[in-house]
Amino acid sequence: MRNKALVGHIGIKLLFILTILPFVCVLSPSLSVGQPIVLGVPISRGYPDGVDAERGITLAVEEINAKGGVNVAGKMRLLKLEISDTRDLEPGVPVAEALLAVERLIIEKKANFIVGGPIRSEGALAAMDVLSKNKTVSILSAGVLSPAYHKRIADNYDKYKYCFRTTGSVVPMIGGAIGTFESIKAKKGFDKAFIMVQDVAHARAAGNALKEGLEKKGWKIIGYEIYPTGTTDFSMGLSKAKDGMAQYLIPWFDMPEVSILMKQWYDMKVPSLPIGYIHALQDEGTWKATDGKVANSVVLYAKAGSVATKAIPMSETFVSGHKKKYGIEPRSEWTSTSYTVVYILKDAIERAKSLEPDSIIAALEKTDMMGTYGRVKFDPKSHQIIENGDPKETAVGMWAQWIDGKRVVVFPDKIATRSLELPPWMK
Amino acid sequence: MNIFIFGFVNSIILALIASGFALVYGVSRLANFAHGALYILVGFSTWLFLNRLGINYIVSILLSIIIVSVIGAGIYRLFLIRVKGMPASEIIASLALGIAIMELFRWRGFISEAYMLPPFVKGSVSIAGVMIDWQRLIIIGVGLAMMLSLWLFTHYTKVGLSLRAIAQDKHASMMSGIEPDRTAVISLAIGSALAGVAAVVILPLGNITVETGYMVLTNAIAVCIIGGLGSWAGVFAGAFLLGFAEILTAAFIGPQWQMVVVLLFIILTLILKPSGLLGKQKELEERV
Repeated sequence: MRNKALVGHIGIKLLFILTILPFVCVLSPSLSVGQPIVLGVPISRGYPDGVDAERGITLAVEEINAKGGVNVAGKMRLLKLEISDTRDLEPGVPVAEALLAVERLIIEKKANFIVGGPIRSEGALAAMDVLSKNKTVSILSAGVLSPAYHKRIADNYDKYKYCFRTTGSVVPMIGGAIGTFESIKAKKGFDKAFIMVQDVAHARAAGNALKEGLEKKGWKIIGYEIYPTGTTDFSMGLSKAKDGMAQYLIPWFDMPEVSILMKQWYDMKVPSLPIGYIHALQDEGTWKATDGKVANSVVLYAKAGSVATKAIPMSETFVSGHKKKYGIEPRSEWTSTSYTVVYILKDAIERAKSLEPDSIIAALEKTDMMGTYGRVKFDPKSHQIIENGDPKETAVGMWAQWIDGKRVVVFPDKIATRSLELPPWMK
Repeated sequence: MNIFIFGFVNSIILALIASGFALVYGVSRLANFAHGALYILVGFSTWLFLNRLGINYIVSILLSIIIVSVIGAGIYRLFLIRVKGMPASEIIASLALGIAIMELFRWRGFISEAYMLPPFVKGSVSIAGVMIDWQRLIIIGVGLAMMLSLWLFTHYTKVGLSLRAIAQDKHASMMSGIEPDRTAVISLAIGSALAGVAAVVILPLGNITVETGYMVLTNAIAVCIIGGLGSWAGVFAGAFLLGFAEILTAAFIGPQWQMVVVLLFIILTLILKPSGLLGKQKELEERV
């Protein structure tokens, strides 16, 4: 009898709590917690770029969730990550795999948004139709430097309005690079360059644009060579640069073997300053791994933020947060862009007060916030991030030079922490 | 002079890469498509011993080479022996094992650009006005020493002579008491060790990546096809032909054409002399 009474007593209490709970949640929206918002992340997990992007996104999601999540019209909703391997960085660029990964995230994992990749332009361009068909908003934050991406959006806005990109494209990168080379020319008087690029679409496009742009400015291009992906010997090109007395060596590579180029440059004491998009050299561990042979090389980051600079406060908090979580500083530009992309989305959702694609698109088009690489604003017609050399106004790229085992920002001037230094054998 | 020095280095690198593959095929008629995987296995294991366990560099190298020899022998004893005599199955089995080893590294996160081995000797030296690093000179030394040692081994030791005997006439050597499976195990172990030696001297030039394994396998096959499968002199001839062709192409045409030139050489060899420059395997068939 006593047991029956006890069970009955507990039952009544439970019933009371369950009845009251929904009212409490409705009357106190700040306490209300909704279903998580699913972020689909299609990236190439077997490659450093994919891992870097994943780290940035994971860090931002953990930070946001630790503070209660995203406020969607008064309801706090946590972010949930669903990561799928696109394999699109593998040789041969398996686009079909990338498309499958994106579709799986949208259909099976019910992703509300897609962030991160695909990383290769070929994969991302093909995924645009999948995103459009499923009306899923996507913000690219790793790779994809092809100008074709935002051109497609601008040319067919209604179809591709779901696609945004924060990585930038080679066009503003080249414009910025030529500006940087011109400023070095003004200081050092250098005007002879040797261009070496990887045999992939974005690098060839960059090489051609650089050659054309620099020649127009009166530069002498000593040589322009294209190297197949996986090249392991650069001696002939370096010999030509040395014989032609090139003052700049402008590499544009995203393959890991470019470290061989830098080691050969150092061992052959080529009197040219290496300055270009040397992706493998962005990694903090490069100095130790190459035994310091990357000294004085200047590396372009498509976006700033992975090396802390006082001019961009969020870059400092991001770099220290990354170091605390992963034990190392961010390895590449895609960690910075992928970290910021989650905050961009959070900001848009909170302003839109909804997860509806059209509301989110409208909110994203009006984005105006500070990220790890400066002020984030999108061109409303092409959904391309706007960039120039001032982080207070727009997003910025960054040139970091390897000096005394550290990456230090040397360009653009607005965020530089140190002046450019020449290799000892060039002084 | 640039072309001669760097062409010579490039040729020795190719000869080192191909020697293990050629030895295994020459002795046991097994095309070991796990060759590239064994190459990077030595690279990664040396890196791990050196950087994670803090073991002395030389000891790390020796340990890695011993381990890869045992793995090579194990590949034959556990897998290839079961498909012996079925060339297509041997290729599929060894390729599958190779891919499994390489992708295991990718899966376990060995994908950073920071996986590099230190050079044996730092610094560079000027030879006839051409600056070249000591590591490349060491590669030349090790390459030539390895070729000489292999020649002495296969001509003046009992095991080496038995390997040659099996390669020349399997049935006659069996009648003399030479056990073919045992020699195949030995050849796989030595071939794997040669891949290991190549890895530890070449990898300090760049970094260790999973893709390197695939590239090494492709280069080894290219050298052996051009030089002639089963021929030591052919390996040298193929390596020097390809090595200098690559450097000359980079110097006078453009580096983007290097791969085209290599493929062109392979196609021409297959059309004009399918057995390769100095290969003997198909020579009789060709005459017939």
